[in-house]
Amino acid sequence: MPAVAVAELEEEAVLFRGGAPMCDFAVPGAQDTTVLVVGATSRIGRIVVRKLMLRGYNVKALVRRNDQEVIDMLPRSVEIVVGDVGDPSSVQSAVSGCNKVIYCATARSTITGDLNRVDNQGVRNVTNAFQDYYNQLAQSRAGKSSKSKLLIEKFKSAKSLQGWEVRQGSYFQDIYPSRFDEGTDAALEISENGQAVFSGFVFTRGGYVEVSKRLSLPLGSTLDRYDGFLLSVGGNGRSYVIILETGPLADTSQSKKYFARMNTKVGFCRVRVPFSDFRPVNPQDPPLDPFLVHTLTIRFEPKKQRPGDSSQGASDPRNFQLIMEFIKALPTGQETDIILVSCTGSGIEPSRREQVLKAKKAGEDALRRSGLGYTIVRPGPLQEEPGGQRALIFDQGNRISQGISCADVADICVKALHDSTARNKSFDVCYEHVSKQGDELYELVAHLPDKANNYLAPALSVLEKNT
Amino acid sequence: MEVIKTVVPTSIAQGTPVRPTSILVVGATGTLGRQVVRRALDEGYDVRCLVRPRPAPADFLRDWGATVVNADLSKPETIPATLVGIHTVIDCATGRPEEPIRTVDWEGKVALIQCAKAMGIQKYVFYSIHNCDKHPEVPLMEIKHCTEKFIQDTGLDYTIIRLCGFMQGLIGQYAVPILEEKSVWGTDAPTRIAYMDTQDVARLTFIAMRNEKASRKLLTFAGPRAWTTQEVITLCERLAGQDANVTTVPVAVLRFTRQLTRFFQWTNDVADRLAFSEVLSSDTIFSAPMNDTYQLLGVESKDILTLEKYLQDYFTNILKKLKDLKAQSKQTDIFF
Repeated sequence: MPAVAVAELEEEAVLFRGGAPMCDFAVPGAQDTTVLVVGATSRIGRIVVRKLMLRGYNVKALVRRNDQEVIDMLPRSVEIVVGDVGDPSSVQSAVSGCNKVIYCATARSTITGDLNRVDNQGVRNVTNAFQDYYNQLAQSRAGKSSKSKLLIEKFKSAKSLQGWEVRQGSYFQDIYPSRFDEGTDAALEISENGQAVFSGFVFTRGGYVEVSKRLSLPLGSTLDRYDGFLLSVGGNGRSYVIILETGPLADTSQSKKYFARMNTKVGFCRVRVPFSDFRPVNPQDPPLDPFLVHTLTIRFEPKKQRPGDSSQGASDPRNFQLIMEFIKALPTGQETDIILVSCTGSGIEPSRREQVLKAKKAGEDALRRSGLGYTIVRPGPLQEEPGGQRALIFDQGNRISQGISCADVADICVKALHDSTARNKSFDVCYEHVSKQGDELYELVAHLPDKANNYLAPALSVLEKNT
Repeated sequence: MEVIKTVVPTSIAQGTPVRPTSILVVGATGTLGRQVVRRALDEGYDVRCLVRPRPAPADFLRDWGATVVNADLSKPETIPATLVGIHTVIDCATGRPEEPIRTVDWEGKVALIQCAKAMGIQKYVFYSIHNCDKHPEVPLMEIKHCTEKFIQDTGLDYTIIRLCGFMQGLIGQYAVPILEEKSVWGTDAPTRIAYMDTQDVARLTFIAMRNEKASRKLLTFAGPRAWTTQEVITLCERLAGQDANVTTVPVAVLRFTRQLTRFFQWTNDVADRLAFSEVLSSDTIFSAPMNDTYQLLGVESKDILTLEKYLQDYFTNILKKLKDLKAQSKQTDIFF
């Protein structure tokens, strides 16, 4: 054994950011990961930065001002980028070189414009910049970014309607012509302003109409590398059913069908339909295997429509008009890409609560539809206390009421970086409510921090994905 | 904006209230000090480190996110400024081996404690040595004991933690020489020391700090098992996969050397250190029962790291790194 080597390694270990070879804070692979912290000067952000540095990560921080106060607040080896989240170009330079983003910035003033800029537009800018950066990287190696969405269909011309078949059908086995049956009709065509429109009416009881196409994906792409669909549509508030058919192409009688419901808003919207939402039509069939999907169908049926949910005087729920813009597939992945700290709102004054929640929700939705792996953490009212002391409750039901310390939220963000159970989940988190004797709550399961402190994976694995 | 929990003003002086999460760590660059700093930063405290002005400052503290202030315990006038806005002081400092004990460990500490009292520090955590009250003949132990009494008399809210020994120290003393195939100094003394991982000490310290039951108490932290020097060497040999080159110094020789060095002023400090090792020879078991302490703090004994696991992790890591180094150096061999 080289004598000098051991002593040198010792010194290196001591001075090295990550500390001694085996220390409580070592995270494998941290040195190869660069994390962008947006909101590094906030209460949570400061602790997040410290925790990342302790574990040996490379940290980049986006700050608005580069003055001495800010520099003193952040550890020396943090790379500081000066800019504003509302400005796409500064976000671009901040995101470059980063593998992950922790977004804990929030508007500091009560001005609505600020709320929109930081909690809504800022999140959009970051997700766009992140996707752009990965696309750039992919281009430079003549490949495809693993984080970009796959375009399945873009409806821009008559040519794109090729392959789409309009069909009629009925849920009733026997159809007796009835004199009260006013018929069913539907068509898929390009409108005057160049949009693809699927419209019609279904007055037949138990009837439905649908457009269907056998999918032709680009060479080498298969749907098992994707998590679900993103559809950009103008649905007029109606709901539609998406049906996927799987099975051997040669023998369609062997096909299995899976369905999921898609709700649309008045006007245009982007709807995310994860594969996990699909259920087999025949309950005996196995769960959906995206690799085997060959046909996509969008169906309209009047029986499940909510009355009065429409606009422009079309109050009859048996009419529909679906303007289709595109269908894309959302990529899957192991880990989360962006962690967003949102809020439950219970700590905000009632006069401002609605505004803040609206902006936050818009930011959350933008992140969910971006195609990136996301984790949305909604803490209860923040407290300035040391973390790791009290049991935490993770829930998805909007039921939590207790507060939580900034340090605990920071810990969750850092732990979620490499946790596969954290990908594509939104959840609330707060302290366990210590109730009086005899008054115990049995519903919510609290997770106590222990020495190993791996509370996050078990807590998140029971929560619903793609929320 | 969120409504934060109101900070109760706890400082008597005028001005901004003191945040309960602000800590001053004295001796932050030491083996124990740096673990205390890391633990505190990870738990969300605002950490300020008191270090002596140096030409090459210890930047790793700033890298972790702590603020660093310059002061010197041997110059009391530098102390008060470091205590402004601080809620808790954690004192891990001790003099370096080449310096006389009295300046830092007694006079410096007295100054620090008096300042802390005058400036209204809410909590003072002090690290002492196990059984320091039983060995007045060892200067360091005597000083630690007197400091304990001094703290208790000031009326400060304190927690005093007596320690038995650090596992980290064994690396330099035994593990490295074994790996480097150098001599290992051992004694034939039957002493058993209950070593503890400094990371566990730090973790338990913070649990104690927040526990009201530990207020104004003297706690002892001892590792899960007490080891003799011979046992430690055997363990290292087994894990390193090679034999140690042990030179055993009989205790009698140690004692003689100590008497000798006492005659010379400049070696007085060495004499003091040697006296320490005599203690270790006389106290057959340097350990303490931990069940009551674990119960008080709400900690389970299985969560405390054992020496076997500690050294196992160390050797696994270091041997892997050395293998990688060797592999790397092989690649750079160029033959013409």
